[in-house]
Amino acid sequence: MTTELLSYSIIPLLSALAIPFLGRTNRKISEIIANVTLLAGLANLAYIIFHPMNRNSDYAVFSFDGLTITMLFTIYMVALCCVFFASASHMVKAEKNAFYPLIMISVSAMSSMVLARDYFTLYIFMEALAVTSFSLIAGEEGKGGIEGAIKYILLTFPASALILIGIAIMLMSGGTINFDMINSSPSTGNLAALAFITLGFAIKAGLFPFHFWTPDAYQGAPSAVSAYLAGVVTKISGIYALVKICMTIRLFGEPAKPVAFALLLAGVLTLIFGAIAALMQKDMKRMLAFSSISQMGYIAAGAATLTPVGIIGAILHIFNHATFKTSLFLNSAAIEKSAGTTDMRKMGGLEKNMPYTSWTSIIALFSTAGVPPLSGFWSKLLIIVALWVSGFKLAAVLALVFSILTLAYFMMMQKKVFFGKPREELKDVREASAYMLAPAFLMSLIIVLSGIFFPYVFEFLGKTL
Amino acid sequence: MTSTFSMDWLFAALIFFIGAYCMAVSRNLIKQLIGLEIISKAALIALISAGAFSGNTNLAQALIITVILVEAVIVATGLALLVKNYRLNGSIDIKKLDNLRG
Amino acid sequence: MTYNLFIYIIIAVAAVLAVTAGKMLTSAIMLAVASIALSLLLFNFNAPWAAVFELSVCAGLITVLFISAVSLVKKEDESLKESRGKFLLLPFLAAAAFIVFSITLTPWFETLSGHVKYPAGEFKVGEIIWKHRATDLLGQLTILAAAVFVIKSVFAKRSEQ
Repeated sequence: MTTELLSYSIIPLLSALAIPFLGRTNRKISEIIANVTLLAGLANLAYIIFHPMNRNSDYAVFSFDGLTITMLFTIYMVALCCVFFASASHMVKAEKNAFYPLIMISVSAMSSMVLARDYFTLYIFMEALAVTSFSLIAGEEGKGGIEGAIKYILLTFPASALILIGIAIMLMSGGTINFDMINSSPSTGNLAALAFITLGFAIKAGLFPFHFWTPDAYQGAPSAVSAYLAGVVTKISGIYALVKICMTIRLFGEPAKPVAFALLLAGVLTLIFGAIAALMQKDMKRMLAFSSISQMGYIAAGAATLTPVGIIGAILHIFNHATFKTSLFLNSAAIEKSAGTTDMRKMGGLEKNMPYTSWTSIIALFSTAGVPPLSGFWSKLLIIVALWVSGFKLAAVLALVFSILTLAYFMMMQKKVFFGKPREELKDVREASAYMLAPAFLMSLIIVLSGIFFPYVFEFLGKTL
Repeated sequence: MTSTFSMDWLFAALIFFIGAYCMAVSRNLIKQLIGLEIISKAALIALISAGAFSGNTNLAQALIITVILVEAVIVATGLALLVKNYRLNGSIDIKKLDNLRG
Repeated sequence: MTYNLFIYIIIAVAAVLAVTAGKMLTSAIMLAVASIALSLLLFNFNAPWAAVFELSVCAGLITVLFISAVSLVKKEDESLKESRGKFLLLPFLAAAAFIVFSITLTPWFETLSGHVKYPAGEFKVGEIIWKHRATDLLGQLTILAAAVFVIKSVFAKRSEQ
């Protein structure tokens, strides 16, 4: 584990333990503590990233890589947006002194996963993350949440047993379980171990044959929580580890090809399936969930090319996915709060009543579909170029085609929800409050800025990879 | 020790399969959790066998102690969810969990 | 080796009984039997600490948790039929696969064991836990805190109803 950045995982944990004591009398205090902790962490990370001394001297002070710091930034950013939204919208009906600590513990567990330098540390923090996230899914009173949570348990824990078996094989054939160890000895045993671990993480990431728990979990969860889950939690617990494995087995050379090819196949199938299933959905949150599955396919396919360009594209796409998907889910939550439903058949013409929500969701969906100046375009471009260059030409063409299909289903969603004739029963729907809009605005700003200043972002990642 | 090694892994695979079968066939949520437990037993066998075989028993022990704790937490929280589900739906049948449809 | 085989057979049989038992109580007890056998196995592998944890936590605590859950939801206990029809062939296939693999895969395991890599030095368990794997303790702390808040959030509703 990287100990230099350990405070990013310990401080949220301490804050989680402090919230129930300090917020016992006044519930407002627990909200304030959660927001302040995350904001402080985010400011600190931004200082590290943007400080010229750190940037120019090739990170002389810290020995982290670009992936770690980008992922930490993503985690804190999305968590801050979701916590701020939850406390501004009063949509979370669950016990506040349990909800905010759970979010803080999951932030802590995710940061530790990102900082982990061996597979067993990755495993244990992943389990902690899974425990918090199924409780967050089940948070609300309705029946949907608990159903999503139970499906989540029954699929993710067998996956972690597979990961454990992989760790066991690695313990035997490598002597230790560090990430670095495996670079030195690409033997049959290590490859078998990595195949098991990859399978486990592919289940956790919701890649194609194992995708069916994701939409249920996202749809059943309370809206602010689904943004959090879709934005970072399932990404860190699944796809981040896959990208990390791909960075490791890149150095294996020829023997790693079968594992990488299986991952690539799963990724391409996932992006096809997710896009087609998203076309057929009636519920807004469920559609966003399938779209999220489809984006996971892009990330997996990009990382599985095992080229530097593909891996940078995958990391960037995780970051971009966090921004646009959080923005879209928070918008759906705002609509749910204002219009009382997420069923797209019952909506229409909300543009006049909710102009800001409409604009932020247009920016987010253009970024998802890969419209040029926005950030989503660049990461998709990198992934498609990596696929083409490394010889998977059919996969590259498919990725391009389904990127256009993404635009199609999102335009359909935008048309059904925001454009068209206003409905009678939705006449007096009002725009969400400024506090609830702030996270989506922040995300839109990040999407636009990181799209325009893309060369700097690319340089930042390329130098530290 | 060599001959024990392949036996360990065969039985680990067999026990893993029994647990997976349990999770596939039963409609009862408690049975599903029991299947999970059986699967993690298989993982423990794999860990200790690998550790003992490569002369790393103590590291394997340290890992197993952590895994056992994780297992206990999972079962406790899973059963808590099950009891809550029983209160809400009045059933522990997994087939009745189909409220979410697109 | 015969001793290990004997214990493995006990674990497997107990697991099968736990799966096929009609009553959930029997299932829970069979799981406990499997746990006890596993802890004997761990003793035999010269891993006493892990064995003690297995015996006290898995065979003790988890069984108690299961039995209390069973007694809470007792009413519809046996009414649930299992949907075995779809998976009727699976056990037989598995048995056949097990027999075939036990013949064919043993050489493969031998080659796998050729890749074994021995550690640099021998450490005591406490040394490993506190010095080499100290981050696992942070992980255990995290997961225990998570469990506390999960229970708190799941059972918060009770007072309101």
